[in-house]
Amino acid sequence: MPRRLITISLTTILLLTGSLAFGAAGEEIYQVERGFKLVPAIIMVALLCIYIGVGFLSKVSSTSGYWVAGQGVGTLGNGAAIASDWMSAASFMGVAGLLYLKGWFGLGYIIGWTGGYVLLLCLIAAQIRRFGKYTIPEFLGDRYNSHGVRLIAASVTVIIAITYSTAQFKGIGLICGWIFGMDYTASVFFAAGVVCTYMLISGMSGVTRNQQIQYVVLISAFLIPLWVLLRKAGGTGILPQIEYGHIISNLMEGQVASGQLDPEATKALKNAYLPWGKGNFYHFIALVFTLMVGTAGLPHIMIRFYTVKNEDVARRSVLWGLFFIGLLYWSSPVYAAMGQFWNPAGGKAVADVIILSAPERAGLGNAFIGYLASGALAAGLSTVAGLLIAGASAIAHDWYATVYRPDCTDRQALFIGRVFTAVLCGVVVLFALNPPALIAQIVAMAFAIAGNTIFPAVVLGIWYSRSNKYGALAGMAFGLGMTLLAMFGWMAKIPMFGEQGILPATSSALIVCPLAFLINILVSNATDNKLDEESIERGDNILRKLHNLPDPVAEDDPQEKNAFSH
Amino acid sequence: MAKKPRVSVNFFAPSTDGMKAETSVAKIIIVLWFLLSYGIPTLIWLAGLSDPNGLGESFITNTRFLGFPLHYWLLAQGCTIGYLVLCKLYCILWDAKITRLRKP
Repeated sequence: MPRRLITISLTTILLLTGSLAFGAAGEEIYQVERGFKLVPAIIMVALLCIYIGVGFLSKVSSTSGYWVAGQGVGTLGNGAAIASDWMSAASFMGVAGLLYLKGWFGLGYIIGWTGGYVLLLCLIAAQIRRFGKYTIPEFLGDRYNSHGVRLIAASVTVIIAITYSTAQFKGIGLICGWIFGMDYTASVFFAAGVVCTYMLISGMSGVTRNQQIQYVVLISAFLIPLWVLLRKAGGTGILPQIEYGHIISNLMEGQVASGQLDPEATKALKNAYLPWGKGNFYHFIALVFTLMVGTAGLPHIMIRFYTVKNEDVARRSVLWGLFFIGLLYWSSPVYAAMGQFWNPAGGKAVADVIILSAPERAGLGNAFIGYLASGALAAGLSTVAGLLIAGASAIAHDWYATVYRPDCTDRQALFIGRVFTAVLCGVVVLFALNPPALIAQIVAMAFAIAGNTIFPAVVLGIWYSRSNKYGALAGMAFGLGMTLLAMFGWMAKIPMFGEQGILPATSSALIVCPLAFLINILVSNATDNKLDEESIERGDNILRKLHNLPDPVAEDDPQEKNAFSH
Repeated sequence: MAKKPRVSVNFFAPSTDGMKAETSVAKIIIVLWFLLSYGIPTLIWLAGLSDPNGLGESFITNTRFLGFPLHYWLLAQGCTIGYLVLCKLYCILWDAKITRLRKP
């Protein structure tokens, strides 16, 4: 296919020009052993071959296959796909890194990223499945009958995809650097090539199937080294997720691998594991709240609910998804504890590579660490695939095929989708070369965007019939503006938006999200009588679908009735 | 032209039986979710107010559970297990209240 060739070569050009622009970043890479490692390289290459092979076996040609993989994935499968989409380099490397650096405070990331699913389940999952179309911008655009809302939602999806992928690329880059001994810049480009080629070839149908395989690879890679690690730390190695409790308790008393620490270091270590040693109560609550509403508002997670057979499956797959995610989050604190145990004074420079550094210091052997690294790579790859698809579909489907050229063919939309997948990939690489924060922190910023813009608009769109397009526009513009302000403030190192500020970029939703709700409600009520008949009609029709409401008037067009039949 | 009656959907004032059942299930779970997510940190905060160093050291941080300091276990594992239970409870309540409602 010549078009595919054009896209791929376009990507290559983008990537090459990018490589000239940036110098050194990713200091973490100097914290792990340098040089090419044969066994991990073989494990990684074998895994990549499996991914691409599965992608080839499930090539797709229709647009609906490209976006949502047809509507026929079951409970367990969808649960695994949710978990695999979820388990990014951020959960794999980033959470362990933050727990290592911030001790108890880092646990906020764990409850934030699991608790959000309860909100998602209660307020959004079943209703959004009844709507039954492709994307979140499409849902918002239809519900509020406004291209403005649709475009803001599409832009937000793209911004989230870029921010979130940047964090993943940092992780993937660090892993590739460890395995091949490349410097950080080179490994980011290497990773980009793999991601892009794979995605352009397979589309989402391949991605979905892979995500189940990837989940198995990923979770086994994450869990198996733990048993060995814990045994080396003096445990019995039966159930690491429980046994590391003693290690944490001992750490609080200053006992590490090298023996008893001096009183000063003991005090520092103990403080890190006390509740407010690394951040106060407000920062903790703000972080947890932001991650939760962000989880419930992430477009690439919500899109998973269109890929299931019916709302029953949608509900149950959340349970499975959460369980699969839980397996990972019950284990990542173990890596952090192991990191403290063997290397209590590593600090920020080692945080993002702690899952490689801790086993290395424990002398785990390259085969185990290589498998672990390949798992982290799989985590990053699958998340990036899901994100770039969601981002590209926002552009191709919601802007190009709906607003810009409504009369385009499926083929054209598909082509635009592929081109933008490549373009987004290029943009992400540029950001990843100079990452602004720790992996998990960058991801938290993406969550703040989702929680401040998408979450209020979707929840009010589903649960408040008076909410209208003016309210949604005002609320979303406010949410997006404030989050971006906080993010740029963080990067410009303005104290107010920094880690200890009033409105940290990673935790801005505690203040911004409720305000976005309020603005949406107030503006909607103030403009209630200005709303045109068509918007009322369309919004009401969608609400009928979402809540299985009876059809009051016979003149509704027959298409709408299909919605009640499942 | 006669105006069609508008659809009324409000999470706090559900208008149909189906919606009432759905929101009642959601409300129960959200209240429990709130208690779990914010109650536990608040508890740890309140208990630790007496720590003169302001680090929140208290009986919760000094208690050991399964070898863990209790405040660590509650967040690292307690909450996550709680969320799983809540998701299961949601499915059970949904089947009991809503699936039955839909059957003729």
